[in-house]
Amino acid sequence: MMDQISKYTNKLVADHSALRDRIAFAAQDDTLLTTGEPERARLAGDVLGRLDALALVAARPALPFAEFLVRRISSGESCIIPRDTETRTFLHDIPFLRRSDYEAGGPELLARLLGNRKGVIVEGVGIVAVGAVTVEQAYINYSSVFHAAFVKYLQDLLADGFLIPGEPAAFDDFRNGWLRPLTADGLVFRTGPLVEPAAILSEVATVGRYTVERGLVDSFFGNISCRSDDTIYISQTAASLDELDGCIDPVPFAPTSTTGITASSELAAHRRIYETGDARVILHGHPKFSVVMSMQCDREECGITDCWRDCPYVRYLGGTPVVAGEIGAGGLAKRVPPVIGESGRALVYGHGVFTTGRRDFAEAFRAMVEVENWCRNEYFRRLAERTKRQAPPA
Amino acid sequence: MNGWAGTILKVDLTSGRIWRETLPAEILHAYLGGRGLGVRLMRGFHSLDPFAPEIPLIFAAGPLCGTSAPTSARLAVVSRSPLTGTICDCPVGGRFAWSMKSAGVDALFIIGASSRPVVLRVAGDSAELVPADTLWGKTIPETFDSLADAGSVAAIGPAGENGVLFASIMMDGGDGGGRGGLGAVMGYKRLKAVVVNGARTVPIADHERLENACQDVMRLFRASPVIFGELGIAEYGTPALVDLIRQRRMVPTENFRRTYFAGSCNYSGPAIRREYQPQRDGCYGCPIQCLKRTPLGEQLPEYDAISHFGALNAISDLSSIVRATTICNELGLDAISAGATLSAWGEGRGRFLTADELPGLLADIGYRRGDGELLSLGSRRVAEQLGTPGLSMSVKSLELPAYDPRGAYGMALAYCTSNRGGCHLRAYPLSHEILRKPVATDRFSFSGKARIIKIAEDSNAAVDSLMACTFAFLGATLEEYAEILSAVTGMEYSPQTLRETGERIYLTERFYNCDNGFTVADDHLPERFYSEPGSSGDGIEVPAIDRARFDEELQKYYRIRGLTSEGTFPYPGFLGRQP
Repeated sequence: MMDQISKYTNKLVADHSALRDRIAFAAQDDTLLTTGEPERARLAGDVLGRLDALALVAARPALPFAEFLVRRISSGESCIIPRDTETRTFLHDIPFLRRSDYEAGGPELLARLLGNRKGVIVEGVGIVAVGAVTVEQAYINYSSVFHAAFVKYLQDLLADGFLIPGEPAAFDDFRNGWLRPLTADGLVFRTGPLVEPAAILSEVATVGRYTVERGLVDSFFGNISCRSDDTIYISQTAASLDELDGCIDPVPFAPTSTTGITASSELAAHRRIYETGDARVILHGHPKFSVVMSMQCDREECGITDCWRDCPYVRYLGGTPVVAGEIGAGGLAKRVPPVIGESGRALVYGHGVFTTGRRDFAEAFRAMVEVENWCRNEYFRRLAERTKRQAPPA
Repeated sequence: MNGWAGTILKVDLTSGRIWRETLPAEILHAYLGGRGLGVRLMRGFHSLDPFAPEIPLIFAAGPLCGTSAPTSARLAVVSRSPLTGTICDCPVGGRFAWSMKSAGVDALFIIGASSRPVVLRVAGDSAELVPADTLWGKTIPETFDSLADAGSVAAIGPAGENGVLFASIMMDGGDGGGRGGLGAVMGYKRLKAVVVNGARTVPIADHERLENACQDVMRLFRASPVIFGELGIAEYGTPALVDLIRQRRMVPTENFRRTYFAGSCNYSGPAIRREYQPQRDGCYGCPIQCLKRTPLGEQLPEYDAISHFGALNAISDLSSIVRATTICNELGLDAISAGATLSAWGEGRGRFLTADELPGLLADIGYRRGDGELLSLGSRRVAEQLGTPGLSMSVKSLELPAYDPRGAYGMALAYCTSNRGGCHLRAYPLSHEILRKPVATDRFSFSGKARIIKIAEDSNAAVDSLMACTFAFLGATLEEYAEILSAVTGMEYSPQTLRETGERIYLTERFYNCDNGFTVADDHLPERFYSEPGSSGDGIEVPAIDRARFDEELQKYYRIRGLTSEGTFPYPGFLGRQP
């Protein structure tokens, strides 16, 4: 298991979601082992030993957003409820422990919370996430909580501005230090149309890796496909975009085989996009600013409450259509194909971005970069408008 | 009390006495219902001979049955298996569980043996034993037709009446309690059927909380490619797995001599759709509806049955396979054990069956005539009598289902640690080793599998006690079902507390088995899997299982479970410490 822990420690550092010297893992088979920063490692072992699970990660996020969320929430609350689709679907809510509660309840209390949810925010410690069956699962759950906290914090800033001391400075650090320019420059794409299966498999794996390396998505979030004349080559469900070798399912267009039962949950959306347009490749990811901006709706006096599912309108962000629709068979597959044709790009409310390429992945990748960059710029523009009306927090 | 009825209906078939008793709340809370409740109720009876009149035959529903909780209208039939000698529970669907709960009972507890065939009829608060001489000898469909007006029916066919060791108990409107031969236990009691009906509703503590939790589950179902994906089980039924398991080169073929069967494309999900234009069916109120029927109502085979009458016997003709499973459903036979027993017999005599021979031999098994007399004993006894005991592809005498353990090492371990014998559903490693849920694990590695299997066994014991469907957990998790249970009962549960309950249930089963003499010697695969490779190809190597590595992981598993190196309990008082 040590090789797995080493691998996912490196991933936490590489994706800039945790501070290198503040990461610890615990894992148990017939014995319990801990590794990483000593204080968190001790905590990880104390908690995991109380749980019927295989692995646990405790790490300080590279951004203070999760902790800010806790401090911004009124004293009576015990969890945050992000509104993005990933959290809504897979985490539901994220419990947190304030410093005083954690000091009083210790590992026992933390284990009780983790016995009910996949991840917990602990003030002063960071994000603690559990993996029931693998070390990778603990990493995924950490990553999901980090993603959810990022999205919610940015949403909350737009709504309420900075509320507590230290936020503006930390946000500046985030904007000017943590955040990297997003570009497709320097990447090499195969020129399409891609026809040979071996070339398709190789290119899908390569482009999947690009999306992670360029910080466009976190490794676990998203899916990717390329069509040939009679087959869709699509990443498998629960496959990390930066590790797609051997994790791409060839799915025939004709209903002749169910081998693709392990394909991404968005297979139906990919299939319909191919069937209704001239796309040759599709990229789908959850870049964070796109997710945030997809949930900023200016419509007034609207009676719809479950917007992510029920909104029938098509909005536009920088020319990119935004539609509602839940994952898999939940409506997304019906609403994206009709709007993605012209621009080759579409946003799904609280979920992420679909882009297509009529020839190869170069077009799709650049489109996703453009959408995310537009959303990033628009976010900062709106936040500046929001905060210039506000006095600095005391 | 919310969720549970709090009542058990007890029946002594010897004396004809029928009475109701209150189920203690602490027992329901500690064992939930279904499998867990049934296993708890077997305490003190667990060492009885499976055919002793005093052995209980238990039908137990879960606390969610009767509510809108998805996939929860199921129950467990529990007793001691005459095929394996282990404790045995069979989760089953259909309408029966819902109707039983509507009659105001969580469980039926049936002991004794009648002097003549009878039917137990439960109608609301009343219950009676009705002579059933005219039904004795009838097939399952004939029995259902005769009793359908009185309510939901659980019945045995000729196989159960005749004591076939892998006879099933079939439920109307759904599948059957197939594994382990509990139909024969029912037959020895001369109980042809149970009919239940009622009009009670299940009290729910918090309707709004339940509705929200159900929506969470449905959202996860829709996000699951295996459940509601366009190639998933809602569309194709479990035969959706045929193509995948072939592609993974782990199809048990010719009595597990090989692991690849090209002919399986003749009975894949798409092939069945082309041939039969199947319609959706399934357990009462289930949104998935994974059972498939022809437009004329004939139930189409599920994955394990279709693969065992197919690849395992080297038969690729779809209509013959469908006919074989129909005969099993009519006579009340476990199709997995039937297919595997015929396959072992075929290898033992040097020739596998032809498709034409299947119907006649299955009928012979059901009526225990001709070669069927021997075959009715299951593959272990058949192989022993043929002088080739190694040809029984079983663990603890329960024939293995249609996933070759050389293609998934967690599966290999899980077959051996399953308390009811070689079963894939106790830990369901298929979910992560093949279907990538919740995350993928390396199917050709034992690393971490001891802990993973232990956790999954505990989780699934809880699931089988809530009586939710295993397939639901290819999308949802215990998080959502703990929330549902809390909403229904008004008591707070968490995934962790449910797993602890599952552990209690699993260890109780294990204790019963150890009490009956089971040890590490019974936790092993047939020798073939350690000495013969599978069918490698398409870049996939399928070696034989490394026995030393298997043993090492098994010993890890025992340590994690707190068992001795012999797989037994280090102390005798385990049961005394349990509620």
